Amino acid sequence: MTAPQDTGTAPRRADLPAPAVELRGASRDYGSGQARVRALDGVSIAFAAGSWTAVMGPSGSGKSTLLHCAAGLEQVSAGQVLLSGDDITTAGERELTELRRGRIGFVFQSFNLIGSLTAEQNVTLPLRLAGRRVSGKQVRQVLASVGLDDRRRHRPRELSGGQQQRVAIARAMVTRPAVLFADEPTGALDSGSARQVLRLLRGMVTSAGQTIVMVTHDPAAAAAADSVVFLSDGRIADRALAPSAREVAERLARLEA
Amino acid sequence: MLRLSWSTFRERGQLFVGALLTVCLGVALVQSSLLILLAAATGGYVEAITLLGMTLAIATFLAVFIVASTFAFTVAQRRRDLALLRLAGAGRSQVRRLLLGEAVLLGLLGTGIGVPLGLLVQRAQTALLTGLGFVPAEFAVPWRAWIVAVSAGIGTGVAVAGVLAASRRAARVRPLEALRETGAAARVMTASRWFFGVLFLGGAVALAIVSSFAGPVAAIPLSINIAITASIGLSALSPLVVPLVGRLVGPLLRGGPLGTLAAANLRDGVRRSASTAAPLLVLVALLLGLSGTLTTLGAAAEHELRQDVRADLVVTTDGPPSVAGVPGVAVASTELSLRVPLTVTTVDDGEVETDTDAAEAVAVDPADYQRTHHRTAAEGSLADLRGHSIASGEHPLGSVVDARIGDRTVPLRVVAVLPDSFAGADVLLPRALVPPAVAEHAPAHTLVRLDPGADPARVAADLGEGRVQTAEAWVARAAAQQQDTSAGIMTVIMGLAGLYTLIAVVNAVVIGAAERRREFAVARVSGLGRGQVVRAALVESWAVAAIGLFLGGLAAAGAVAGIGAAAVRSTGAWLVGVPWPLLAAVVAGACVVVGVTSVLTSLVATRPRPVSLVGAGE
Repeated sequence: MTAPQDTGTAPRRADLPAPAVELRGASRDYGSGQARVRALDGVSIAFAAGSWTAVMGPSGSGKSTLLHCAAGLEQVSAGQVLLSGDDITTAGERELTELRRGRIGFVFQSFNLIGSLTAEQNVTLPLRLAGRRVSGKQVRQVLASVGLDDRRRHRPRELSGGQQQRVAIARAMVTRPAVLFADEPTGALDSGSARQVLRLLRGMVTSAGQTIVMVTHDPAAAAAADSVVFLSDGRIADRALAPSAREVAERLARLEA
Repeated sequence: MLRLSWSTFRERGQLFVGALLTVCLGVALVQSSLLILLAAATGGYVEAITLLGMTLAIATFLAVFIVASTFAFTVAQRRRDLALLRLAGAGRSQVRRLLLGEAVLLGLLGTGIGVPLGLLVQRAQTALLTGLGFVPAEFAVPWRAWIVAVSAGIGTGVAVAGVLAASRRAARVRPLEALRETGAAARVMTASRWFFGVLFLGGAVALAIVSSFAGPVAAIPLSINIAITASIGLSALSPLVVPLVGRLVGPLLRGGPLGTLAAANLRDGVRRSASTAAPLLVLVALLLGLSGTLTTLGAAAEHELRQDVRADLVVTTDGPPSVAGVPGVAVASTELSLRVPLTVTTVDDGEVETDTDAAEAVAVDPADYQRTHHRTAAEGSLADLRGHSIASGEHPLGSVVDARIGDRTVPLRVVAVLPDSFAGADVLLPRALVPPAVAEHAPAHTLVRLDPGADPARVAADLGEGRVQTAEAWVARAAAQQQDTSAGIMTVIMGLAGLYTLIAVVNAVVIGAAERRREFAVARVSGLGRGQVVRAALVESWAVAAIGLFLGGLAAAGAVAGIGAAAVRSTGAWLVGVPWPLLAAVVAGACVVVGVTSVLTSLVATRPRPVSLVGAGE
């Protein structure tokens, strides 16, 4: 298990592998003039390859902005963003599209499956968009890995919330991305389905060395990760290695107090 | 990508129904009009050809316009889906291809239904043309197999042209929008809306200025063009007007909660409001613009004819009547109406080009003509109209045209140039040029001036043969005949534009309401009754209809302004006609259609219990 490192200004030792994602002094401002809000304030953090990190914090602490900036969905106002050592801070539209096709995957609170496509079609969509051929076997394998082999031909509305989220995970994983970004992946699920999804994510980290960066409100979800980073007012306020759900809740309560 | 297009198509059928119907209708009308046009061209039925040409142009324009506004709307509603695709790795060009794929499917499906529908439309159109007297009863339209290929081309062409702008907008959707719960409020007044709005509005103004100088000859096509360009411009700019009207609605309902809600919704759903208003705008612009132009032309022609004629009685006959020797007749000018093909030969760099046009000719005796008309030549003199000569408004003085009169072709020198005219013939010929065999059957009118003190009734009785009426009655009758033709043109165009608009308006209201189930549910959870929600939606949709009618009226005014200015300048009288009954009918029809659709769809959208919709995030 590797903890996220506050890289700060200290140079990283050359013999260490590049982190999967790294933010260096990243800031993000919204609005301008009087209405300027600094959502992210000089954050430096590295997410090591093969680690699962939960990002927590009170509402408005900047955790979603951190996720968006790390994934190249928003540009930082200042600082740098690196993906597997490559600087993507000023990447163009085409480069970012390539990135989304192969190197990063997304899972959301609201599943965001395409309603008109079956589970199978949703899963193969990223591959087809990238112009790759898709074998039936491969699809079944991916769907079987999330336990939904028998729901291949169902449309999202015919699936439960937990099943939909597992389809979404399968879709994100089908391109074997370097990093999986998850935004409140258990936020819309009952506790049973949530546990199932967390077990699935844990399995991917342990067996395949998947890197996951997950924003969450839920202490139980955060406790399933390897480590937890707490944000407050756009800055890293605290961190914890393999905490229990109770510890997470206490630290969060302290931040919000 | 095509597979994804197809599944979107199936899943979101509701969004596409209107566009599909529009494409079907477009294909059917274009196919039928083309086939009839070809048959009419072989037979040389000029009015029918003009009318079908206008039908073709308007059908194509309306189809593209409505598909475009429908798709602009659906793209706005599918933003989240499109953002999600981008997030899953779709490049901009792939999103564009998705939309264009949908357009191709739409076009093919539309062609599939449109081609058989075209056969029905063809029957209806032929019956209409026969009924209005534009073609004879035995007029038949042969089927041509290649038309199917043309229809398929039209169908996909219309759909793709309509979707082009929307697909560019779709490609600009940012992936981050999939993650936002509320969706960043998309700017409605985009740079391209400003650009096209101002460009087309400027074009319409320019055309109106051209029209005021071009005079009556090009008035009808110009006015259609002005109506079309002005409606494109105004509907691009309509989001600017929507909030203004929103501000008016509140006070109108005396600040009641429903008025406040409707006004707020208007301001909030600017794009939805603009999409509903757009088709009404085009309808009003075309109908009122064209009808106003025809009324103005008719009024100017009548005015001009009345100013021109210096006679007491008019005798209408087939072939020249014998008026010589009737007591009390001072002057009688017998004028034969003929259709004469005129050929102009020009030599340009050694290349000989000939151009033949059929002209409405009147054969006159120049001396009699000048004594019964006020009108004089703009250049040259009507007195020179003897021997091989012609007076024309279109050809330069001194040039030579070849005229085919009866079965011989004669070269004629232009001895007089006629002034611009709203009424009257294209050319005047000396009557001596018309062989007796032709003259015998030509429709003729004879303007008669009486001796001072002669009793008109006595003379009329003595003239006996044919129809005798006072000059005043004759002018009025000519004007009424002109109005009948105009009414025929209006029937065809109006039916067409009305049908399209009906589809487009119903479509926009239905799509709008279907996507608002959650919003309605929230309003009900906040304490509004179902009836109140439906009423608020009704008020809102009427306000939107009012916007469309108002802007359409503006475009129509532009369409009439040019020819109106020309009429005022040429006749010195204020002759701009406003077709009030038509205006009233359009306003009432729009209110009923929009109102009924709005009430029905919002009733359906509020049928489920509100809680079941408020809770569901997706």
